[in-house]
Amino acid sequence: MKEISLIQAKENEEMIIVSIMAGQVATKRLADMGLVQDTKIKILRKAPFGPIEIGVRGSKLVLGRGLAAKIFVKHL
Amino acid sequence: MNKVKKLNVVLAGQANVGKSVIFNYLTGLHQHIGNWPGKTVEKAEGTLWYKDYFIDLLDLPGIYSLSTYSIEEIISREYIAFQKPDFIINVVDATHLERNLIFTLQLLEMERPMVLALNMVNLLKEKGLEIDFKKLEEFLGIPVVPVVAINGKGLTQVLDRGIELVKQNFKPKSLKYGKELEEILENLILTLKDLDLPYPKRWLALKLLEKDQKIEGLIKNKRPKILEKVKELSLELERLHGEDSSIIVAHERCNLVFQIVNETVKITKPKKLSFNEKLDNLTSHKIWGYPIMVTILALMFISVFKFGNLISLFFENLTSGWQEIWQTVLGTSMWSSLGWTIIESALSLISLALPYIIPFYLFLFFLEDWGYLARVAFLTDNLMHKIGIHGKGCIPLILGFGCNVPACLSCRIMETQRERFITGFLVTFVPCSATTVIIMGLVGKFVGISWALILYLFAFLIILILGKLVSKILSGESVELIMEMPDYKTPNLKTVILQTWFRLKEFIFIAGPLVIISGLIITALHQTDYTLKIAEFLSPITVKWLGLPAITGSLLIFGILRKELILLILATLLGTTNFSQVLSQHQMIVLSLVSMFYIPCVATIAALGKEFGWKKSLGVTVFKVIFAITVGGIVSRLLNLI
Repeated sequence: MKEISLIQAKENEEMIIVSIMAGQVATKRLADMGLVQDTKIKILRKAPFGPIEIGVRGSKLVLGRGLAAKIFVKHL
Repeated sequence: MNKVKKLNVVLAGQANVGKSVIFNYLTGLHQHIGNWPGKTVEKAEGTLWYKDYFIDLLDLPGIYSLSTYSIEEIISREYIAFQKPDFIINVVDATHLERNLIFTLQLLEMERPMVLALNMVNLLKEKGLEIDFKKLEEFLGIPVVPVVAINGKGLTQVLDRGIELVKQNFKPKSLKYGKELEEILENLILTLKDLDLPYPKRWLALKLLEKDQKIEGLIKNKRPKILEKVKELSLELERLHGEDSSIIVAHERCNLVFQIVNETVKITKPKKLSFNEKLDNLTSHKIWGYPIMVTILALMFISVFKFGNLISLFFENLTSGWQEIWQTVLGTSMWSSLGWTIIESALSLISLALPYIIPFYLFLFFLEDWGYLARVAFLTDNLMHKIGIHGKGCIPLILGFGCNVPACLSCRIMETQRERFITGFLVTFVPCSATTVIIMGLVGKFVGISWALILYLFAFLIILILGKLVSKILSGESVELIMEMPDYKTPNLKTVILQTWFRLKEFIFIAGPLVIISGLIITALHQTDYTLKIAEFLSPITVKWLGLPAITGSLLIFGILRKELILLILATLLGTTNFSQVLSQHQMIVLSLVSMFYIPCVATIAALGKEFGWKKSLGVTVFKVIFAITVGGIVSRLLNLI
């Protein structure tokens, strides 16, 4: 399956995180929020040119667009 | 009779789990909200009597981890390590157990006695979830108590179980992560054996593998050799896992939590869309979300202004004769005037707090508790990025239109000191309700409403430009939005009112002295005719550079107290509100513009001082004065060209 950046994923798609290409601090922070490799996520909502809301581990998280661009996902 | 036993208890948990509801329920009015020494982080402490115990309860900030990402995280972990609370109440949202437990594991690593308060269990059924409490208790090795915070259900049990732990001298067992990690940890703990630090050894080892810079710094001072060992072990771990060791630890926690949740939570029925979820879909909608947001915010402003005006008027009528009575009794001597100034300052504080600050806070906390503020942040993140901050910064800026004071104080919702300061700085450029009085009373009335709007647009433009500039100039990385989207829930009125009350008290303590002192100084100047001298002294700026009548010099001095005084005193001096007698249209525009930017009012300076330190507060003030004069002069010249 093709890897895409999280901002390219469409609403309501279920994806799995392949890699996170952010800096150490941001990656650590995402990991603390439960976003690590192999985590299943669902794209809930995308604000136009804005952040992305995802469903992860039973709750909802909003990620800024710049950060979402550094998260790579593929289809389940 | 039993001797009173004191207990030191902390509430810890992520944001939006109902921590403050529990805090308010347990402590009621016996609480004190201040700041952590030297930090702009709120510290909420309260006390309660329970059975034979006098409990000192501390509400730690809502955080998602015990790393070093935000000041709150550092404060929390240092407090737990150094103060060693008798027990921790970890509040978790039962309907979002998986994400909450990640933090629970981190708290357990601190090795203090802990009770898990599983909040919102009443919502489980509706969400189609079922939790096996007993099994969860076995997995975590600590008491698990189902709780419904809004009606206090289960809270005494939480305290009972906590006290039991204290009596037993309980120590939580450490949970085991993956085999490779555990082996490395064991090895690392050995090397830390006789290190004298207040943190648990296992926790230190984990933090070292997580490349926690604070802890690395501590060790470096004590025994730098250890860091070499850490490096060696991290590399070994990384070879085994193919990931950075800082991520491996977090990953292992996620894995363990996933296991626990898998074993303890049952999804009983497919989820149906509830009313709140439909509301969520509508209010976060990429098209409808925006008009709804504008409507909600407009409603907030209109009702606050309407209500505020009414109260203001009522209050003014109530106190209008007081000065005369004072003067008849005590005369018009210098001392009598100074005495009156103190009363007047106190009255002006009330007339600011009652009609504007209280309703704005009520609205703010209502929207927050309901869950709407997170939607605002989601919708405006894109826009806010253009001024160098993220979506949460929208909230202080919106509040700024009402009053800059609560707006500055609400900058705490931003994560880092840098973000907080940028937001606070920009807030002071937002035209507040007092500025609106000037703009509308001068420009709107005598020049035309379109010019008033142009002034507003100009303010937005300035905010945009300054935001971009400041975020470029200030060192440090700009923070991307990472925010939990809370579910909508019925706001808890008691929490909303208590939050408002304690913030208000805080505001009066900060702003009160400053308002009174500056009022005294200005009255003294006025009594000794110094205001005229100052106006004369300022005339090169006001008359030559800004092209305004000399009298505006003293108006601007009064405006430091409260900006609407500029207009009120002008009216008093003229004996009429027909300002067109003394000011040309151009002058009105320039005067409004200068009043809008030239200085934060005294109360705002106090709020800035409290949040960011007096040096920064003074810096902002000086910058604004210079900025307003420069811009005012340029605009005055440009207007003359038209």
